[in-house]
Amino acid sequence: MNRASLHFLLAALVAIALPLFMRSGTLASEVLIFAMAAAACNLLLGYTGLLSFGQGIFFGLGSYAAGLTLLHTSLPLGVALVLAAIAGAVVATGVGWLSIRRQGVYFVMLTLAFSQFFYFLAYTFKDITGGDNGLLNIPRPAIGPFSLGDSWAYYAFVAMLFLIVFAALQRVASSTFGCTLLAVRDNEERARAIGFPVRNFKITAFAISGAVTGLAGALHALLIGVAPLSNIEYHMSESILIMTIIGGSGNLFASVLGAGFYVIVSDLLSSIWPRWLLLLGGLLIVVALFMQKGLWGLIERLVVALPMGRRSAIKSPIESPIQPESEGRGI
Amino acid sequence: MIYLFQLVNGIGLGMLYFLLAVGLSIIFGLLHFVNFAHGAFYLLGAYLVYDMTERGLNFWAALLVAPIIVGALAALTESVLLRRIYHLPHTFHILVTVGLALMVQELVIILWGPVGGNVSTPDALSGVLILGDFIYPQYRLFVIGLTLVLGIGLWWLLEGTRLGAVVRAGSESTDMVSLLGIDILRVNTAVFALGAGLAGLAGALAAPIRGVEPFMGVEALGIAFVVVVIGGMGSYTGALIAGLLVGIVQSIMTTLWPEGARLMIYLGMGLVILTMPRGLLGRA
Repeated sequence: MNRASLHFLLAALVAIALPLFMRSGTLASEVLIFAMAAAACNLLLGYTGLLSFGQGIFFGLGSYAAGLTLLHTSLPLGVALVLAAIAGAVVATGVGWLSIRRQGVYFVMLTLAFSQFFYFLAYTFKDITGGDNGLLNIPRPAIGPFSLGDSWAYYAFVAMLFLIVFAALQRVASSTFGCTLLAVRDNEERARAIGFPVRNFKITAFAISGAVTGLAGALHALLIGVAPLSNIEYHMSESILIMTIIGGSGNLFASVLGAGFYVIVSDLLSSIWPRWLLLLGGLLIVVALFMQKGLWGLIERLVVALPMGRRSAIKSPIESPIQPESEGRGI
Repeated sequence: MIYLFQLVNGIGLGMLYFLLAVGLSIIFGLLHFVNFAHGAFYLLGAYLVYDMTERGLNFWAALLVAPIIVGALAALTESVLLRRIYHLPHTFHILVTVGLALMVQELVIILWGPVGGNVSTPDALSGVLILGDFIYPQYRLFVIGLTLVLGIGLWWLLEGTRLGAVVRAGSESTDMVSLLGIDILRVNTAVFALGAGLAGLAGALAAPIRGVEPFMGVEALGIAFVVVVIGGMGSYTGALIAGLLVGIVQSIMTTLWPEGARLMIYLGMGLVILTMPRGLLGRA
């Protein structure tokens, strides 16, 4: 079995196992929704070498797009989701196009500044977005004969979409396009010298990432029945990025682990101690210092340590996550 | 007259943005280190002044002590933690400093609560200045005056002293500076503490104007990034011009379209990037 189908199998196992181990369908759905968002972030970070602080923009926009569609029109759910993905893709194309004009640190700062821009945009146009209160009472219409009212029914719907999106992202990653992104990540100048249109590749990666993140945002708004302002805030971008990095930026399944870890741990800890983010901050520092390949790297080390696992842990080119870069490029 | 008022307001705000951004800029110039915790130092500066004045301490003492405490904490963080990660790629700098910023923000909430509060302007400056039709709060004039003096002092520090020469040389080549027998580690710590202290001072000065709340650090970080993106990283003059520009635009927009004032800052940044990808004075 090749690596991609193994990872897809693992993702499917997660989707099946969550209902067995978790009491709340809402929380389980949240895990998969953020797994999509983190995997989309990983397409930029792990595969293209772009550390984007703007993922919350696309997530929030997806929430608003789906919410507005379902509140103000009688279009079916599927259309609302597609519109959310399109909104994410279009805005991501714009943000990507502007941000990649600068490289390295400037790129990261630009994405963060854009996330502030869109936050204030949503905050300013209260008539459309509901401002601080968010868009309230978003309905969750049935799909044909299937009602999604029950939280586990909705989970099944989310899980199906999650697997489709995961497989699609895997295809993107393993395509010629995906391999070229890796080349851009590892040595942008060389990729450009060979003749690849690096800019277009980066913008396309942004668009794909934005579409998936927008879809995830829409599913989140449907899950909680609200498109809150916090979905487009700096902290949303930060959370998605943290999930991706904690999971490990080397492969897409790592992002599922990262999202699962973040969502479940935050749910557990926030009920015990509301200031658990303090611990999360500490964890980030620990990950940066000692666990640079994230949870996935940790699992890989454990697998290698087992006598049975030695053979399967062959290093693939994708597994080398963030490369030491020269002259501050390549973020 | 309202525009003159807002223009002066904008200059005051812009000078605060300058203080905030110039620290970020110098730190990056010398250390090539991206400090996402810069907003957290601003936050700490503001809250220290809030805490000390709440305890009945004199505002002036608080204004002096707060940036020193922030600088000392920054020096400690630099020498214990950050020094170990300079050699790693920028991604890890960002990761660690985002973690630090998160910890500071949560600590602030634990210590002072999630709501925030107000810092009253010191009695000596609580009045207004009246010049014919022009009426202006004294405290804001004081902020402009003080930041102007500090700005000149900082310029002299960077351009006219030995430390400044080392910092500027270090921005070109850290290795070369070390080879000349200068203890670059100490210089690094000093510069980091200086930059953080300036951010702390900006927070302390801003506290009586805008109050304190735990999420002001994130907002400040966003603004500082806009300023260095527009002005160019590592450039003193760039930070000054861009800081003033952002401050004035924000103030004047407050009259024209209050809700959209902060929106315009980011829109302006987008325009600069579109027309001048390197910023106004940036090198690369």
